[in-house]
Amino acid sequence: MLEQRLPRWLTWAGDPERARRAPFLARSPLFAGLPRRLLARLATRFFEKAYRPGDIVFYEGDPGRALFVVIEGAVEITQARPEGEYVLVTLGPGDAFGELALIDDYPRSATARVATLGRLLILYKSDFDALMEGNPRIAVVVMRNLSRLLAIYARRNPVLVGEPGPRPEKIGPP
Amino acid sequence: MKPGRLLAWGGLLAVVWLARGLILPALLAAALAYVLGPAVAWADSMAIRRSVAVGVLYAATIAVLIVAGFLLGPSMFTEAAALMDRLPTLARQIDVGLDALVRELAESIPGVRRLLPEGGYWVERFVLSRFPSEPGAVFEHMGHIFLLAILVPFFAFFLLRDMHRFIAVAMDRLPPQHVETSVAVWRELNGVVGRYIRGLVLDGLVVGVLAAVGLWAVGVPYPLLLGGFAGLANAVPFVGPLLSAAAAGLVVVLTPGLGLAGVGRVILLFLAIKVLDDTIIQPFTIGRSVHLHPALLLGSVVVGNHALGVLGMVVAVPVATVLQETARLLLEHRRVLARRDSRPPPERLLV
Repeated sequence: MLEQRLPRWLTWAGDPERARRAPFLARSPLFAGLPRRLLARLATRFFEKAYRPGDIVFYEGDPGRALFVVIEGAVEITQARPEGEYVLVTLGPGDAFGELALIDDYPRSATARVATLGRLLILYKSDFDALMEGNPRIAVVVMRNLSRLLAIYARRNPVLVGEPGPRPEKIGPP
Repeated sequence: MKPGRLLAWGGLLAVVWLARGLILPALLAAALAYVLGPAVAWADSMAIRRSVAVGVLYAATIAVLIVAGFLLGPSMFTEAAALMDRLPTLARQIDVGLDALVRELAESIPGVRRLLPEGGYWVERFVLSRFPSEPGAVFEHMGHIFLLAILVPFFAFFLLRDMHRFIAVAMDRLPPQHVETSVAVWRELNGVVGRYIRGLVLDGLVVGVLAAVGLWAVGVPYPLLLGGFAGLANAVPFVGPLLSAAAAGLVVVLTPGLGLAGVGRVILLFLAIKVLDDTIIQPFTIGRSVHLHPALLLGSVVVGNHALGVLGMVVAVPVATVLQETARLLLEHRRVLARRDSRPPPERLLV
């Protein structure tokens, strides 16, 4: 990324730590199709945090305020059920979760727990909104990707949001 | 609380008390960091190292300041020297005018004489007391300004370069399940304060330039100084624009040959600037970052003045905005939690 954007004689000024984020985000289905320039701008808005195994990222019912992307390690998305805790999906590097916090402020519908030592990138809704104000292209691409993901899940599990009905056996990113 | 922790807090408070002289430079450095922040964020998006980005930014800023100094410095210095020479005479003229006014008033209201005895030379004494007369005091004054000029960019440099590291450390120390909400609240407040400060600086620049050009066009002396003052005073809501208009009006009154027509032109000029500022400049610069009710805005300025004087009036608006936003976010948080408690979460396809 860095080598592609800065002339060779300026590579000494590059920050390899930051340069690695943008290509990493490009691999996530949520940010697919974003041009390199916007991806690099988006990458600067992410915070990075280390988590230990067993750390709770958020609980079911917490207000959703951020999107998370797994860099290292694994994260389990679980839901409390009468018969006990049910693991909906286990996410790995490149997977994003908590996407709906970028759209609305509904409480989280599942709990996210770190399964193995890992690092997460965090994008806050306020930062995403601020970025969208200056770059509607980001909003269009991310929302289109999000709609595609929602459509995939909806076709796989025909349950409408808010409609009472049978619970899907397993939901989560493909 | 454990004795060790109590001691640590006591020590910290003592250090803060001893370093209270650094509060103003630290506040100004934070403001400077907010102003230069977007340029560093742009460099971040190019994956340029922060120390390089901030260094280049500082070099560019210093170059701009040097060019501005070459272009405007001599004129401003001449104006300042002329004003300094004339200031005691101007103050004396104002005192004489005030005395005449009090004499006239005292004929109908004798009590006025007790409040303002004749020959008090209030303005002259006030003006002279503002300027250090002893050489030692002059050096001390210059020393303070020099220290401020060194400390503010110095602190701002490290804020710009290392803020992301401070944030990373703070985030690693926060309990994982609280990171999302607490940092989200901080991000929102940070965004509001940043937009306000950048808007305020841009607004002050535009108003200062408009005032300087306008005053020069209507033939008022010291247009650069008065324009600069108008730009700085603009940071104080309500009071600032009035003060800058009053200062320009006073200069016109005390300048032979300008007369009442000059006062009228100055009033019209500052009215036009105020209308432009409220309708075009502020919505463009400060925008929607501040949503304070006018009564709350005025109240915060009065409280700020009582607490910290002029500095308090400047910081009153961002502080009141932060308090209001914090209250709004807490209420919103409670609303979301109430929504969770009042009904089962809807079926969702994603988390």
